[in-house]
Amino acid sequence: MAKRKGSGTLGLVVRPVRRTGKQVWSSLIRGKPNTILYPYQKLDLPPTYRGKHTLDFKRCIGCSNCVQICPNDCMWMEKLEDPELGKIERPGIDLGRCLFCGLCVEICPTVALHETVEFELADRDREKIKFGPKDLRDDTYAGQVVEERQKRLLPVLDMSKCTSCEKCAGECPEMCIAMMPIEGVGRSKPEINYNKCTSEGKCVIACPEKALEMKDVYESYFEMPEPKLVLQNCTGCGACVRACPADAIYMMDMPGTEKVLKDGKKGKPKKRAVFVLEKCVGCGRCFRACKFDAIEMPGVRE
Amino acid sequence: MNLYEFCYGIIHWLVDLVNNLWYWLGDVLPWVFGDFFDAVGDFAASDSNIAFFTILTEVLIIVIIALINVLNFIWLDRKFMGRMFDFYGPYYVGYRIGGWLQNLADGIKLFVKEIITPAKADRVGFLLAPVIFISSSFLALATIPLGRDFGIATNESGAGVPAGVLVAFAMFAIAPFSILIAGWSSNNKYTLIGGMRSAAQMMSYEIPMLLTVASVLLLAGSFSFSGVVDAQHDLWFAIPLFLGFIVFMVCLMAEVEIQPFDLPEAEAELVEGWTTEYCGMRFGLFMMTSYLRGYIGGALATALFLGGWHGPELIPDPIWFLIKAYTVFVIVEWTRWSLPRVRVDQILDIGWKRLMPLAVLNLFIAVAFKTMGWF
Repeated sequence: MAKRKGSGTLGLVVRPVRRTGKQVWSSLIRGKPNTILYPYQKLDLPPTYRGKHTLDFKRCIGCSNCVQICPNDCMWMEKLEDPELGKIERPGIDLGRCLFCGLCVEICPTVALHETVEFELADRDREKIKFGPKDLRDDTYAGQVVEERQKRLLPVLDMSKCTSCEKCAGECPEMCIAMMPIEGVGRSKPEINYNKCTSEGKCVIACPEKALEMKDVYESYFEMPEPKLVLQNCTGCGACVRACPADAIYMMDMPGTEKVLKDGKKGKPKKRAVFVLEKCVGCGRCFRACKFDAIEMPGVRE
Repeated sequence: MNLYEFCYGIIHWLVDLVNNLWYWLGDVLPWVFGDFFDAVGDFAASDSNIAFFTILTEVLIIVIIALINVLNFIWLDRKFMGRMFDFYGPYYVGYRIGGWLQNLADGIKLFVKEIITPAKADRVGFLLAPVIFISSSFLALATIPLGRDFGIATNESGAGVPAGVLVAFAMFAIAPFSILIAGWSSNNKYTLIGGMRSAAQMMSYEIPMLLTVASVLLLAGSFSFSGVVDAQHDLWFAIPLFLGFIVFMVCLMAEVEIQPFDLPEAEAELVEGWTTEYCGMRFGLFMMTSYLRGYIGGALATALFLGGWHGPELIPDPIWFLIKAYTVFVIVEWTRWSLPRVRVDQILDIGWKRLMPLAVLNLFIAVAFKTMGWF
């Protein structure tokens, strides 16, 4: 039988003793042990550490995507009155139930939520680790961190100014703007294919009404559900427009639907909602706001 | 410093003080007891009484020194082990003195714990085992002097006990017996296996150890500690009997039951070995006594092989002795925290196939030195 390496007096006695002797030299005589004495010394945590959340009120649009994706149901939206921003809705987090998965941070369309390196959250009272929006607020934090998500400068459409002149579609060097007719309105709206766009900004320069504007758009990790209008049910009430946090819905007149009043004059035309899907964040607020089942949005929680 | 004279002086002074008071009381109240006062006073001042109390004081001093050393040893062990494994060891309790007070804190914790005797245990054996273990270990201290005349069993001339080495080793070797009792009476399979292992372990290390001791006694030509240490005035026995020193250290580690040979108390295999059923301060006393045995082992190695209290005159004798004992302990701890535990069959192999021939060879070397007339 071949003798195993490291057995015998040399391997079993001398080598271990030499190894521990080296350790004593390095931790007693030359330096100090590796231990970090926690309450007095702290580890340098990596910037991607998932700790307590911060919320940038100015970036947040109140879309409630974070509340919907939270697997533990530990977030809620709170209505606030802010002197600067007016009436807003912002999320709060119950850190007693949070599992720090970071989904809320990843799904945030404007990157307003961040996770900091602060991890000492323990308290004697359960209510004290529930953080409302005002406790989470830190408007300076988002500007300091290195953005992980890809940010692109893209043309964003303001449909209320658009006159359907098709100049932007003619200018686009990548041919990524298509004029799609809107059913019932008799006009068309430019639909921009963001995958092909090279951010040259020629469409913005070409637009005579300044309806297009170059803005920072964050790349999304998630496939967002898209709203779809059922035109028969739409009454033109405008509830979806008021509900939309991203200003992606516009009410437009439908010519030819005016009722003739008793005195022979024509009344106001019927309106319909028009979605600018490039701006949509997939939150489903319009779907929930519509009381006439005029919006279909598969994949959104009721 | 002569410990006997020191204690004798203290006791004599105390007896004189008390006796003066006592005789004065007898003068004042003669009608109560009559001559009784004088008889008691004379008995208190008699030589035998004073010698008795002198030795009691000596015992007290030596035991206090031993216990302080035990506290130091536990601290040193934990601290050294910590640095060896790259952590701090005791740190916060007694922050300014390097966590030294942690032992006292642990002792207080053990004191306030509940003491449980298992329902099916053999009560007499269960309660007797710690007594035997601890008292035999303390008795081993009785004949070990820290200096030429700094020990319990020394008299005015400082000659010491004639067969002190034999007494110390005899007392030192009683422990496996108490371990076997503790293991058996606890009525638990782990403790029983631990106790049996202790007996098996004793088989393997006791004989080589005593053979090396025999070689030392042969060279020294004396059975007493003072004789052995005085024979090493010029040359430590660790140098001519280097082989014996190595064998003795290995056997000492087995005797003290520390890590490579802690078969009776193998945490990984038997829960806590033979101390499994002991809790509270009973366990604490076992723990303390095992470190006390570490101290005794260091003292024995120092006295037999490392020249005892001999050293440059700058430092007093007992301090030299303690420095050497501490050094031996640190080396033993170093191997303790470096080596893996041996198996039961391996320790018998080591004892009978390796240590025994080496010990016999060492005895031959000692006999050769003696016949050549070099010692």
